[in-house]
Amino acid sequence: MANLLDVTGLNVAFRTYGRRHHLLKDVALSIPEGGRVALIGETGSGKSVTSKAILGTLPRNADVEGGEILFRGENVLDMPRPRRDALKGTAFSVIMQDPLSSFNPVFRIGRHLDDVMYYADRRLGRRSSAGHRRDRIFEVLRRVQLDDPRRIVDAYPSQLSGGMRQRVLIALSLLHQPDLLIADEPGTALDVTTQDEIMKLINRLVAENGLSLLMITHNLGVVRQMADDVYVMRHGEIVEHGALSTIFSSPRQAYTRQLIEAIPPLYGAKVEDQKPAEADPIVEMRGVTKMFEQKPWIGQGTRHVAVNDVSLSVRRGEVFGLAGESGSGKTTVARMIMGLIGATEGSVTVDGKSVEDERGSDAFRRKIQIVYQNPGTSLNPKRTVGQALSVPLAFAGMRGAALEERIVELLRQVDLPANYVGKYPHELSGGQKQRVAIARALAADPEIIVLDEPTSALDVSVQKNVIALLTRLREELGLTYLFISHDLSLMRNFCSRIAIMLRGEIVEAGAPREVFDNPRHPYTRALIAAVPVISDEEETRKPRVSDEERRRYLVDTAA
Amino acid sequence: MQENYLYTFAKRIAGFVGVLFVLSLMIFILARVVPGDPARIALGPSASQEQVDAMRMQMGLDRPLTEQYVSYVANALRGDLGRSLISGRPVTREIAALLPATLELVLATVILMVLIAVPLGVVTARYRNSWIDNTGRFFSIVGVTMPSFLFAILLQLFAAYFLSDWPIIGRIDHTLAAPAGPTGLLLVDSLLHGRFDVFADAFQRLLFPAIALAMSGIGQITRITRSAMIENQRRDHVLTLQSFGVPDRVIVFRYLLKLSSIAPLTIMGLEFASLIGNAFVVELVFSWGGFASYGLNAILQKDLNAVMGVVLLSGLFFIVANIIIDIILLMLDPRLRLKEAR
Repeated sequence: MANLLDVTGLNVAFRTYGRRHHLLKDVALSIPEGGRVALIGETGSGKSVTSKAILGTLPRNADVEGGEILFRGENVLDMPRPRRDALKGTAFSVIMQDPLSSFNPVFRIGRHLDDVMYYADRRLGRRSSAGHRRDRIFEVLRRVQLDDPRRIVDAYPSQLSGGMRQRVLIALSLLHQPDLLIADEPGTALDVTTQDEIMKLINRLVAENGLSLLMITHNLGVVRQMADDVYVMRHGEIVEHGALSTIFSSPRQAYTRQLIEAIPPLYGAKVEDQKPAEADPIVEMRGVTKMFEQKPWIGQGTRHVAVNDVSLSVRRGEVFGLAGESGSGKTTVARMIMGLIGATEGSVTVDGKSVEDERGSDAFRRKIQIVYQNPGTSLNPKRTVGQALSVPLAFAGMRGAALEERIVELLRQVDLPANYVGKYPHELSGGQKQRVAIARALAADPEIIVLDEPTSALDVSVQKNVIALLTRLREELGLTYLFISHDLSLMRNFCSRIAIMLRGEIVEAGAPREVFDNPRHPYTRALIAAVPVISDEEETRKPRVSDEERRRYLVDTAA
Repeated sequence: MQENYLYTFAKRIAGFVGVLFVLSLMIFILARVVPGDPARIALGPSASQEQVDAMRMQMGLDRPLTEQYVSYVANALRGDLGRSLISGRPVTREIAALLPATLELVLATVILMVLIAVPLGVVTARYRNSWIDNTGRFFSIVGVTMPSFLFAILLQLFAAYFLSDWPIIGRIDHTLAAPAGPTGLLLVDSLLHGRFDVFADAFQRLLFPAIALAMSGIGQITRITRSAMIENQRRDHVLTLQSFGVPDRVIVFRYLLKLSSIAPLTIMGLEFASLIGNAFVVELVFSWGGFASYGLNAILQKDLNAVMGVVLLSGLFFIVANIIIDIILLMLDPRLRLKEAR
């Protein structure tokens, strides 16, 4: 079978401030006509640069230094600019990664779609009337299961949910029946269940229309559903490629093996069970409700129940997992436990004392600390590691040599060398930044640490190390973790107890083994079923969800 | 989420009315606590104490402060700002006669600012760190840092040396009869009456004071347009359009420009405050004879009623300008409308 796309010996370098960074080194990959190919790799491996080189959207400071990109036997790199532009959206289409930022917020959705269609039509030498284009846009929107296209095109981006916007992004790529669809990590910014729907939709569209697919992702579970051939990329080089089954069952490269092993298993022999904690509860919530109210000067106010009648208890020394999708109220629960916001009803106690009375006191603040999701934004870019760590220490009354000594000790605890004291956040990798954030939380000598999706911004291999660090710290220092996440396979292995939240309520709670082997609530089943896994064994052991249950408990992203 | 202009808008207006009320209270109190008896100022140093007392009674200065304030506001709402202590004529009428001159100057300044600053911002963002950008940056900084009266004087010197026929004083040549137009704006009225000679003369005279006034705003707005354009260029939505081959000019002039005009417009609203302040001095340099130089004279002569009138009107002017900008912002940015209505 002839290949639709052949990339050979592609070398791309970026120039920044006169320095050359060699980003793609002799990249070669082929996409057969009608084939599904995945390009996997971690942050900075050059996946997105490869897709941009194919599309022709490299930034101005990038140079293609060599190689060929053959599309149906013709090198697109040799094409004059207008001819190459004419391929955009018609021969190659891209599904953008982040549905939340890929639309200009001050233009209606329809404007984006119409402009893309109008200019693509023009490049193809076709003139089309606005009404005709509108009809075609409506048709494509229906194909991505957006049933009310009129409302979609008239909406501004902020009026649509993430899932809907992701569907529109898919529609955008299908406006002119392309030959090759490049999907750049679609749905990563979305909830698991929505991501699962999006993947199924892309798969169906690719099959129905006989498209070729280049799937760019770091999620190996997604790869298993979406590709026949796999290319593994590292530091700008293709390190391994082969059929999906070969790569997953017998990877030749240590790097590939490492990637696969870093993924926490959902089912099977490799799953780890954490010992259930026997100690007394350290955090208790009884019948807690949190209502957010807005009362404008005139007119009707709005109220929103973020947390509804939640009771839970976290035992000393355990890892309590709070799972749920965005908007389910898990962060609100954590903030009430930390005393950052008060509860509308019910009682929250930490160490037997009411949070309402204790909040704001130094002792309470020291007792409970938090590690945020994104270390890139939770650390002040203008302050060094040492300065960041000295804030909570100075707050605890430490000065001079004792403070310096403690900083070095904290860095040692999170496996960072002592000379990192003087470094700024931008000099650190994502994993290192998160270690600093953990050290900052440790600085106050807390008993409880709230971990708010601490690894969701990190690559899987880095995640594995951070989780190992957290486990070690818990054992050494006797910490209690409240772990907030939507990554169920990670929680299965890391938590000693888990609670599933849906629309402000806890629908199911228990030891991970029970919850995962016998999920009672349909929503739990739906959540687990949506987790992308890497083996057929895990896939078959996932719980089943009926369409009726799906309709009842999942947010309908198409409506 | 529903779009709701009306609600948002009513809230803004209510806020502005509040601001105006506080402003009137502050300026009233200020006018009453500064040393100098308004009645004495009005009558001059040769008047007897009995005459002054009678005048105080007539002006209502013997009544309690709250009562005075209430009647001042009530009168102001009817358009009566009292009489000038110096000329004895109603302040409202005096200001009304001079207002069009200032309005014309300010409007010309704003148009100049937008016409120069926005394209300059777009161009410097597009060719950032090139010689174009560096030149633009130099002039922006000069514009922001140099006071406008200095520009006014420099421009006059420039005209005097190199453009000896260029009129630099006043609004119009005294030999030309200004058309009695409906708007009071010379440029508009002369066109309406088909008087192109008047238009040419008035345009020449307007140009330099407007440039002098516009310089700081141009510098400011250029910088902000530039940084907004650069900031937004990096966004994913630009990449979306590029990936589908939407031409660069469309991306820049349709998508980026609209998004990037929000920040400079907001700044523009604040810029109006300094614009009015600078107009006081620039009008003086160019003998413009507008409402601002009237205000300056009133301050120098301690004509308290006139000062209060000028301050109140400046405040009103600032507020009206900001209401207009808010309307434009609401039209530009759907997020503002949606957020308010949520």
